[in-house]
This record gives sequence, C-alpha cells and structure tokens, in this order.
Amino acid sequence: MFKYVKYTNYPVNICKKDLRMAKYLMSQFGGANSELAAALRYFSQKFNMPDEYGKALLNDIANEEIGHCEVIATMIHQLTKDATVKELEEAGLGGHYVEHGKGTYPTDANGVPFTVTYFSVTGDPLADIMEDMAAEQKARAVYENLIDLAEDDDVLRVLLWLRQREVVHFNRFKELYEYYKKKGYGKN
Amino acid sequence: MLFEDNNLDINMSLFMPDINFKNFNRDTNILDVEEGFLRGNMFRNEYVPYKNLTYLKLNPKNDREKLLQKIMAYTFAITDLNLYLDTHPDNKEAFDLFKKYISDKKELTKEYMRTYGPLTVTKTTGVKYNWLNNPWPWDKTGGSMYV
Repeated sequence: MFKYVKYTNYPVNICKKDLRMAKYLMSQFGGANSELAAALRYFSQKFNMPDEYGKALLNDIANEEIGHCEVIATMIHQLTKDATVKELEEAGLGGHYVEHGKGTYPTDANGVPFTVTYFSVTGDPLADIMEDMAAEQKARAVYENLIDLAEDDDVLRVLLWLRQREVVHFNRFKELYEYYKKKGYGKN
Repeated sequence: MLFEDNNLDINMSLFMPDINFKNFNRDTNILDVEEGFLRGNMFRNEYVPYKNLTYLKLNPKNDREKLLQKIMAYTFAITDLNLYLDTHPDNKEAFDLFKKYISDKKELTKEYMRTYGPLTVTKTTGVKYNWLNNPWPWDKTGGSMYV
C-alpha cells in the first residue's frame, strides 16, 4: 500500500534550462543502473526474502527509490520545460521529441527505453542481495560520472545527495548479506 | 521490539560486532537533522564524499520554503534511521531519535498544512477541496516554491 506525500525526498528547483544535462540524467531515470531499475528490483525481490530483516529492508529501500525516480524525473522535466523544438534537436533530443514530445519517458542517456531485463529476481536471497549491492555501487559510479559533467549548482546539489544515498543503501545491503550468509540462507 | 514480540530464533549477536566495528558513538555518530539531510546521510562515520565535493547548502527564499525544507529534513532523518533500524533493531539511540523525529515532524506538518494546504490527500479537510492545487512537487516555479 502506498500513500503519496506532496513533496520530493530532496528539494529540486532548477532555474536554468540545460538540455545537455537533461539528456545525461535520463540514465538515472530509465537506464540500466537507474532509480527505476532499483525500485522495481527491490520491490520484486522483497516477496522472497526469508525473514523480517530482508522483508523490511528491501521493502523500505524500494519505497525510497520510488521517491528518487520522482526526484530525477522532476530534474529532467525542469531542465527541458522551456526548450524549443530546435533546441531539443540541437541537444541530440530530436529523436526523443519525435517519440515523446516534451514528455518525460524512462530511457537511458542514449535514448534506449527502460526494460526490466536490467535486473533479476533469482529466488536465492544471497544472489539477489549481492545484485543489490552491485546495483548500488553501479548507480553510485553513474552519479559520479554525472557529477563530473554537471555545471549548475542546482543540479550538482541534488546529484551529490542522491549519490550519498547509494553509499548508505550499499552499507545496509552489505549488513543484510553478511547476516544472511551466517544464517546459511541461499543455495551455495 | 520486533524480536521480543515475535520470539524469533535469531541470534542478535550477529549484528552486534558490526556496531562495535563501526565504533558507534552515542555523542558523535548520528548527525543532527539538518546536517544529516544536507549530506544525505545521518551517520557521520558512514559519510563518503566524492572527491573534494561534500554538499551544497539549500537557500529557502521564504517562510513556506523554510518550513517545507524542515519537514523534508525530518522526513529524511526518519527514513535513514528506519533503514538503519531494519538491520540494527536493538539500537536504542537510533530508535529513540526515530520516535522523537516522528513526533517533531508531526507538529511541523500540522503547522505547514494549517497555512499552506494539505501534503497528503486525507488531510484535505477544509471547506474547499484543495488537494489538487498547484504547485505539485515537479512544477517549475522559478525558484519560488519548492526551494
């Protein structure tokens, strides 16, 4: 059960139009290591967690990740809202305009649409949690690539914050992994 | 507490060394709400900045933004403690702060909604149905509303 709260996890208010950055940020909306992939991954995996630690942690992190999808989509929306068709085309978003207009659609930075094949559910808690740890590391790395490319403080501030959440989530998953390993869950 | 209530066959000592390993310190490890929110991490010893970049300050422009930012900060602190408690349910300091912040946030939210309108649909209880009113969180308001 979900309940909507009318504010984002972290404030987003980007004043300056930046289509270049909007295109890059799509990676975290609909790419392989995106917030959307994270949310759906943990949401799907939680049903097969063997005890309360895993059920609670995957549930609660999935919940936070759905909020992060909104944060990223909000950034993309604000960065592109006032763009002209010509400007979109010049920024390499002509294809995006053809398919989606100025709509916010989950693709990666190269325009490849999101697919659930970006994550797996194996039924093996240790294998799944190991994937979750890797996912947090990869998302952190992508945020660092994005931070390297960011020029506006309004964008940079949010990226630094989202990156830090990957660090925290990794730590929590690692604790769960180590505990489950000791408990002997998993098939290996 | 989760484990006492359910009488589960779980050896809590498995979690304890981790707390010691992290040198959990009552006075210094859990940051205050504002600092934790800005960093995106409530735990001092888990904070890992990227290169020389730590975090950028927020600049609320009016009372509404200030109050909403405060609510966001408390919401964040509660979430981060929530995740920590999922793997450290016996940590009393984290649990006490978690409960305190929930209570503090409730007061702040009440204050905000009294003046500016509902933040959740079921709090739409005035004379007029104003849940649908702008701004929505993704709106671009030229730096005037959502910080």
